[in-house]
Amino acid sequence: MHRYPCSVPHECGTLCRVKRSEVIERLNQLLDNVGPDTSNTSMRIPTALRDAAALAVKELEVAPSATALTAKALQATLEAIVMQAVLDDHYEHCPEARPSLGDLAVAAAELDGNPMAAEPDRLRRAAVEIVARHPEASADDALLWAEARALRVG
Amino acid sequence: MSQIVLLDNEAIQALGRPGHPKHRQVVAHAQVVAQRKRRAAEIQILAPTAVRVEAGWDRTAAAWVFMNRLRITDVPLGGVHADIAAAIRARTGVSVADAHIGSVIQVLAVDRVTIVTSDPEDMRRVAGSRRIEIVAI
Repeated sequence: MHRYPCSVPHECGTLCRVKRSEVIERLNQLLDNVGPDTSNTSMRIPTALRDAAALAVKELEVAPSATALTAKALQATLEAIVMQAVLDDHYEHCPEARPSLGDLAVAAAELDGNPMAAEPDRLRRAAVEIVARHPEASADDALLWAEARALRVG
Repeated sequence: MSQIVLLDNEAIQALGRPGHPKHRQVVAHAQVVAQRKRRAAEIQILAPTAVRVEAGWDRTAAAWVFMNRLRITDVPLGGVHADIAAAIRARTGVSVADAHIGSVIQVLAVDRVTIVTSDPEDMRRVAGSRRIEIVAI
């Protein structure tokens, strides 16, 4: 069984499952209520990262402030963590719902309108090949590998 | 590059119901979105609220708990969307829900719009001149 990159680990009995479910619910509530209110925190980040964020904001205008840039990145990461945790729980309850890496490669191609979406067999073969060498490969890794293989074949 | 993924009525039904024949297929799309978010891609799944109504997706109902937790964002049918959706509906004769999808396609400023749908033709009609990617389920 392919393990998705960044799966959220869980070793669970019933009590743990309930707690995990409550945590996911609470995370969702908090993420739904991200507004203009801010708090000072004592969070420490590496100095170089802070300086890089300040430089990117000043010179590349990627965000209104280093704080906004940091908050946006943190929110995106937390959203990804929650989504993956919810999907992992779903796969545990409904194993038949778990897509293979080949399924994911097809889905990735479809989402982008990539012409490879019309070649699902080729995508599934590429997924099998890449996961043999890179067990943590993602859908986009498999798609890229399929495209590279297609170019080599001509 | 920013990307939104819109779900139509059947895509919502398929994702929300494990017994639906297309459940695994739409779960795969959600899984790809999760992977891309983790890689810092600017990508979101959206559900126009009129589509939610058509699909029967009540966020207060326990039956939809899986969907509710998947970070799928509502797009309300507010004034601006209602005006555009009304024009789309008058022009094409599609359902209110599909017209709402059309207004979302036309209003939101993103680089790529993808629609997971069982009705590609209607989606092309409501998109007008806007380029879209269709995932037919």
